[in-house]
Amino acid sequence: MPDFIEALRRRLVELGCPLKQVRRLIREVGDHREDLKQAAVAEGLSGADVEARANASLGDPLLLAEELMTALRRSSWWGRHSVVTFCLLPLLVYPILWALLLLLQLALGFALGYGWNWKKLLVVVDNPVAFSHLTTVYQFMDYAAIALVTLLFCWLARRAMVKLTWMVVSCAICSVCAMIWWGRIEPHSFFMGFSLNSHLHMPWFRGVIPLLVAGAVYVCQRRSSQRFREKVAD
Amino acid sequence: MVIGIITAMKKTNPSFLNGVPELLVLRLLARQEMYGYQIVEEIRTRTGEALAFGEGCIYPYLHYLEAEKQVSSRRQEVEGRNRNYYKLTPRGRKRLEALTTEWNRVTTGVSRLMEGQHA
Repeated sequence: MPDFIEALRRRLVELGCPLKQVRRLIREVGDHREDLKQAAVAEGLSGADVEARANASLGDPLLLAEELMTALRRSSWWGRHSVVTFCLLPLLVYPILWALLLLLQLALGFALGYGWNWKKLLVVVDNPVAFSHLTTVYQFMDYAAIALVTLLFCWLARRAMVKLTWMVVSCAICSVCAMIWWGRIEPHSFFMGFSLNSHLHMPWFRGVIPLLVAGAVYVCQRRSSQRFREKVAD
Repeated sequence: MVIGIITAMKKTNPSFLNGVPELLVLRLLARQEMYGYQIVEEIRTRTGEALAFGEGCIYPYLHYLEAEKQVSSRRQEVEGRNRNYYKLTPRGRKRLEALTTEWNRVTTGVSRLMEGQHA
């Protein structure tokens, strides 16, 4: 494998380009390089001159990798509008997903035979044991919503191929959202909204969930890149 | 480099100049299936070297068009060389028609204004 292609591959992996995309780009830029070499041969060049011409046409592999990544970032809406996607969208998505999970909880109640009958649900909330189960499920849904939103933005950051900073920023915003967002169910009442005084049980734990998810995603990505490098080295 | 030129132009008039690389690539692919190097060379020679994609930078662009389902690709061996060939899809053809109409409208308008200034 020529050094040029190897340097390009390494830089693309370092810049966080998804491995599937790296393979495809490397294959196509490799083909392109071969075409450039053939053109150089057709012009009468030979030996090292052919290689030099192909490399000169493609430019510095590190710069080419940066250009490729910039072009890839610009090819998605998420990549072109990083501030909106990774700073503002978490503030919107979190309550939406949270509400969806709450609806799912109601659907679960329907599936368990409570139906959409409000009177039947009141029987549940008036029963301390049943209400305790309900709040446990609610708690689980709440944590799941936080984790899912964080995962969504990690996935978006990966898909848009933006810099790691954007993933960290979105996770930090998810963390703050999780700490100041409060939704609480009590017998016969229900509260939701953003507040600095959340009255939540262990609000710090909710704030830690996005950081744990982001850390796990980062470790997985690092391992995946490492495996790819080892595979290529073999 | 077209990508570089377009980035600079985005700040001034994104409505029609942003679509130039897309228009050129779709126009070329409307005629025949092509691979990356061939597209870069065709753009360079047929525009009299006025416009050119950076070598290698065409690929993210082609992948984007493929993700948008405007082109499709297949790996094919021709004369002992394996290459990714791209071709226009019906969706790409519709997009080409829309871009061509927009381009003609803009260039006609600009030409009229320029002619008026020279008169």
